[in-house]
Amino acid sequence: MMKKICRFLSPLLIAALVLGSLPVAAAPAGGMITTQDALSAERAQSDRERIHAVLARDDVRDQLVAQGVDPAEVEARVAALSDAEAAQMAERLDQMPAGASVVGALFAVFVILLVTDILGLTNVFPFTR
Amino acid sequence: MIDCPERQPTSDRNARPAGVLALVLMLLLLAGCASAPRLDDTTRQAVAPRVLLDDVPFHGQRDYQCGPASLAMTLQHDGVETDVDTLIPQVFTPGREGSVQPEMLATVRRHGRIPFVIEGRLDALLTELDAGHPLVVMQNLSLPAWPVWHYAVAIGYDLEAREMILHSGMEPQRIESFRPFDATWARSDRWAFVALSPGQLPATISPQAALQAIGDFEGVRGAEAALPAWESLSRRFPDHAMAHFALGNARHTAADLEGAISAFRDAVAADATLAPAWLNLGLALSSAERRDEAMEALERAAALPGRWQERSREALERVRDK
Repeated sequence: MMKKICRFLSPLLIAALVLGSLPVAAAPAGGMITTQDALSAERAQSDRERIHAVLARDDVRDQLVAQGVDPAEVEARVAALSDAEAAQMAERLDQMPAGASVVGALFAVFVILLVTDILGLTNVFPFTR
Repeated sequence: MIDCPERQPTSDRNARPAGVLALVLMLLLLAGCASAPRLDDTTRQAVAPRVLLDDVPFHGQRDYQCGPASLAMTLQHDGVETDVDTLIPQVFTPGREGSVQPEMLATVRRHGRIPFVIEGRLDALLTELDAGHPLVVMQNLSLPAWPVWHYAVAIGYDLEAREMILHSGMEPQRIESFRPFDATWARSDRWAFVALSPGQLPATISPQAALQAIGDFEGVRGAEAALPAWESLSRRFPDHAMAHFALGNARHTAADLEGAISAFRDAVAADATLAPAWLNLGLALSSAERRDEAMEALERAAALPGRWQERSREALERVRDK
């Protein structure tokens, strides 16, 4: 009995939560179309993609915490992302280039890079200018 | 069932020359990829022969933290009161030992500046520097197989000497020749951005890219913060209907009803098929108690087929019944 109720209630709850967390941009000021709506319509972005974007933000939040970001900072960091950026990060945060600039390479790599540095193809070592 | 590719037995005799050949080819290929970057003649004539933005402050990076350091330099140059220690928890990701590109842009927004990713060409870079805008550039200092991702701040160049000037790593005003600079920059798909106060626009931006950048900023900081940016954009691209449309919306949010009406009118004058502009114009006129003009605009909106037609018809009904 309990199981049946749960099975019936949980999809409803999920739907309610997702819809509730969508940005309330749908109808401000008597049905005006917002700039964001018009721009996403130009890009033929569907409602499904917008729900996807909301879920992506949750995903990014979890990933950032897992990557050692202070949980107190995570909320503000995710809020400052655009939808496209959030989706991009949700998909591939662990493969994204992260600017850091420290070489942790092996000796063989060192030699190759030294040669390419001198050829002017790379710029790892400051002394090869 | 997986088909395995058939292996040909290799003859040992041919292996060594083949290896040498492969190595030579690889080096040639690498050298070919990194041929000296060429500038358009128009750029060469349009920009000053030598630029150095020496009012960009320098912050040496600590371990892995070229991202926060580069942001601190550009933001402070634009008058934001912040420092590297504030920025580290906002943009640095410990697990990745670095900072990722979307978060570099997002952090600029948090500090009330608009990040514009510029077109990835050396011409665009030099034109921005000539206009007085320092740029955060992303480089892969190493080869694609062992990437060493790095952010630096481009602050100048010398056309004669073919050199870039960058605040990079621990080195203020580091000089890099165009060729190695372009080779390392190309590996990030020539990613670079400027961080500007709302109202300032990059010298090289396309209307579409600017709309996107300002729209994203508006989504985070709200319409009133973005209003000066929309004003500048519609002045820069008076023929671009969406720029006027966005300006109208921002003015409307800022309770400037007459200003909004005039911006929406500019939008439909630039593109008479932009249904959202007709609809918003009609609704704004209706709020201003100008019923006849409102009906006229809403009729135009309702006559345009597409995604907004249904909504326009409803709005028309509402105003008609009023």
